Amino acid sequence: MLQSIRRSAILLLLFLLTSAPAMAGELNLSVAASMKEVINELTGNYEKTHPGITFVKNFGASGALAGQIENGAPADLFIAANSEWMDYLKGKNLVDRKSKKTFAYNTLVFAGSTGKKVTSMRDLVKLDKIAIGSPKSVPAGEYATTAIRNAGLEQQVQGKLVMAKDVRECLMYAELGEVDGSFVYRTDALQGKKAKLLFTVPQKLYPRVVYPMALTVKAATNREAQSFHAYLQGSEAKSVLKKYGFVLK
Amino acid sequence: MLSLTAEDIQAILLSLKVALTATLLALPLGFATAWLMVFRSFRGKVLLEVLVNLPLTLPPVVIGYFLLLLLGKNGWAGRFLDAWGIHFIFTWKAAVIASATVGFPLLVRSVRLGMESIDRQLIETSRSLGARWFDTLITVVLPLSIRGILAGSSLMFARSLGEFGATIIVAGNIPGITQTIPLAIYDYASSPSSTMMALSLCLVAVVISVLVLFVHEVLSRNIEKQEAA
Repeated sequence: MLQSIRRSAILLLLFLLTSAPAMAGELNLSVAASMKEVINELTGNYEKTHPGITFVKNFGASGALAGQIENGAPADLFIAANSEWMDYLKGKNLVDRKSKKTFAYNTLVFAGSTGKKVTSMRDLVKLDKIAIGSPKSVPAGEYATTAIRNAGLEQQVQGKLVMAKDVRECLMYAELGEVDGSFVYRTDALQGKKAKLLFTVPQKLYPRVVYPMALTVKAATNREAQSFHAYLQGSEAKSVLKKYGFVLK
Repeated sequence: MLSLTAEDIQAILLSLKVALTATLLALPLGFATAWLMVFRSFRGKVLLEVLVNLPLTLPPVVIGYFLLLLLGKNGWAGRFLDAWGIHFIFTWKAAVIASATVGFPLLVRSVRLGMESIDRQLIETSRSLGARWFDTLITVVLPLSIRGILAGSSLMFARSLGEFGATIIVAGNIPGITQTIPLAIYDYASSPSSTMMALSLCLVAVVISVLVLFVHEVLSRNIEKQEAA
């Protein structure tokens, strides 16, 4: 009895040890939360035409993803929702400079299910609760804070802001009506069921939302990673991006 | 090395306030629940047991989401409270409710253990000498289970300090208003450029937890001695 327990324990240990290294044909993606649907659709299509390739996808706030990659999380491709965290990894020599490309652009909007009439930044003053992504780590929250500051509304909306852990949580609060509205990307607002796009934040109030993508240094020589990286710049990827409301130029 | 901003200090104070309030609020209910489960037999006792212990095994994020749906603008409890002008979501009170729900089973478990160790003959004696059930409860059961109550309260306090999953959903993560220590650490940890700030707050969390558990040990030992004397 005891022996058989010991034997199965050893087997289990062996199994755990040998299954740890990444399998061949497995690509690890670290992707900003707002790109979830696009990447799911693209990897789904890619897997169909490239049997043997599987994707391990990690979605989250760009800052958190950068932190994970910095601390050695397995990642072959990184798509961030702003340049800051891409540059941060570039500065640490963790991403391959040559492979850095712009994947897409997005715009910041204000969405909500409130009955109040909200058509411009100035109307925010009338609202009770506004959700933004936590500006320390969520780019959408950073853009939103910049826009609020440049609109001169920082003082007035202080105390109304609820910080969400990523842009999708902002949308969830707006959907449930827990906040009057949220600063989210246009592409998120289009996914909303109850929350509707109330107004587009004027571009002059915040820097352009760029999604840079790059291979990590250790994946830069990996053929499969390179070919998926090329696929993401191709026409199929562009049409999927467009379908979800991203801007390409 | 230890660098705490004004926001961090607020987070620490808020954590203590939330944990203390949650524990004090849960105490009477926890005592009553434990009493029901130890001294009473009734239909549906097993169901009550499962319900009380559920938060122990449910992922806190599930509890948070349920609370959000329940207490939110469209939830039935939320609508009822709204009529009275009470709002919980995104306030520190929501953090208290989240902590109280998650810590409740720990409290009940300890109080129960305390009650179960009471010699039943003492209770029967007090009843046969004419004490009403309520007098027995206050003068016999309560003092004799004080050890379990203290142990349970300190455990629940410690658990409340660490509450994250349910809190971040119902209370949001608003610096200075609902941002407790774990939420502040999460914020720092999601941004690789503030590793030092994250570590400073982690250190504070460790110190507070060790202190609470230390007090918990000392309290239960003192009472043990008293009982032996």
